[in-house]
Amino acid sequence: MSKIIDGYLYTEEHEWIHVEGETATIGITDFAQSSLGDIVFVELPEEGEELEAGNSFGVVESIKSVSDLYTPLTGKVVEKNSTVEETPENLNEDPYGGWLIKMSVNDSNQLDSLMDSNAYKEFCESL
Amino acid sequence: MSELKQTSLYQKHLELNAKMVDFGGWEMPIQYQNLKEEVISVRERVGVFDVSHMGEFYVTGPQALDFVDYIVTNDIRTAAPGKAIYSPMLNEQGGIVDDLIVYKVSDTELFICVNAANIEKDFSAMSQFSSRFDCKFENLSQNYSLLALQGPQSYQVLKELLPEIKDIGYYSIQILESEKEVKSFIARTGYTGEDGFEIFGSHNFIERLWSLMMNKSVQPCGLGSRDVLRLEACFSLYGNELNDELTPLETGLKWTVKMAKGDFVGKDALAESIPRYRLVKLSLEKGIPRAGYPVEDDRGQQIGVITSGSMSVCLGKGIALARLDKNLYQDSEKLNINIRNKIYPAVVNKKPFISGRTKS
Repeated sequence: MSKIIDGYLYTEEHEWIHVEGETATIGITDFAQSSLGDIVFVELPEEGEELEAGNSFGVVESIKSVSDLYTPLTGKVVEKNSTVEETPENLNEDPYGGWLIKMSVNDSNQLDSLMDSNAYKEFCESL
Repeated sequence: MSELKQTSLYQKHLELNAKMVDFGGWEMPIQYQNLKEEVISVRERVGVFDVSHMGEFYVTGPQALDFVDYIVTNDIRTAAPGKAIYSPMLNEQGGIVDDLIVYKVSDTELFICVNAANIEKDFSAMSQFSSRFDCKFENLSQNYSLLALQGPQSYQVLKELLPEIKDIGYYSIQILESEKEVKSFIARTGYTGEDGFEIFGSHNFIERLWSLMMNKSVQPCGLGSRDVLRLEACFSLYGNELNDELTPLETGLKWTVKMAKGDFVGKDALAESIPRYRLVKLSLEKGIPRAGYPVEDDRGQQIGVITSGSMSVCLGKGIALARLDKNLYQDSEKLNINIRNKIYPAVVNKKPFISGRTKS
């Protein structure tokens, strides 16, 4: 059973979102890291880049596959986790500790469409 | 979509919780628990692959050798009985129909192992010529299962399971006299760059052997690790590096083309052809190349394309094979790979990333 954190929000693409005030921290879930296998490369946007909900903001690669990262929110990148780019394998160990980006939340209504931990748990079980 | 074919080991893969995928119409294990572990097992110890989806053709009769030598580019005639020979087979235009291995039991009895996705195409292409020779040409793929046992401990493990086997040389074969259901044999061949054996036998025999290997803790390996291993050894994959439009002279297979031997299919076209491409080995310090990514020179001009790419488990960096336009590539040792519109520098390697590990 993969780990899911209460109080976080989740996407169907297996990203987690942790909202504090007007900033959202985004990462990939335990389910995501487990289905990807050994993560060997992460490409993230630069600080200041404007992201639009539904668009790809980077990639995470395992030995054999490339997966796009999607943001469910519109806003500006305020910080990227450079450590994760340098040691992507840590995402397999600690997907919730290894956040990817922090971004501003322009439209908090966009959070309404996301799953809470219970809904995401059900979603994972349905797969 | 038509129903996927399954090998005789299908249930065993499910029992091992393998992740199954459609591979050329076959439902095959892509990986078991951990792809990286599978690669490391083969490089350091031993691993086994179910490759029963591959095709086995059987040629017998007085002119069996003449027929086989006519349909492939390599020299089967001068090879000693008991040898395996890697070769492309061509169409009349010199394009590669498939790459295959001929197992020469004797001048009157030969096996040919072909790629799974090409079984029907190859059999039909070869059948056009078989009637010109006094030989019997059969597709026995449905009677055979096939295992590839690969890694430095392969011989030791196989010897314990099959005491009759001898320490045969690389690209040699040995008939398994104890097996009566179908003519069975081992070949010291593989697709990983490691020492190892491929074992051709009946479904029953191969199922038994698989179970014995599992009891001996041989690592089961899927097609994912097989692809990483073959790329580290710089072996071409049909459909990626090789296809019907490319000649062996454009794909790094000149060594398999014996123009001095007798006539063979595609020889005339090949003699007149001017190679348009070159296959090169690339490695990157940063970034992971994937099939389809553009390869550029230092002025930003595209000069080719990645045909296979991956993260190398053994090297810990991105590696690739790339097809470059001969007229545009100026022998530079440094090239760039365009990955999602970012430029990543790559180095042209002279040697395979893994070499010299097979038995001499």
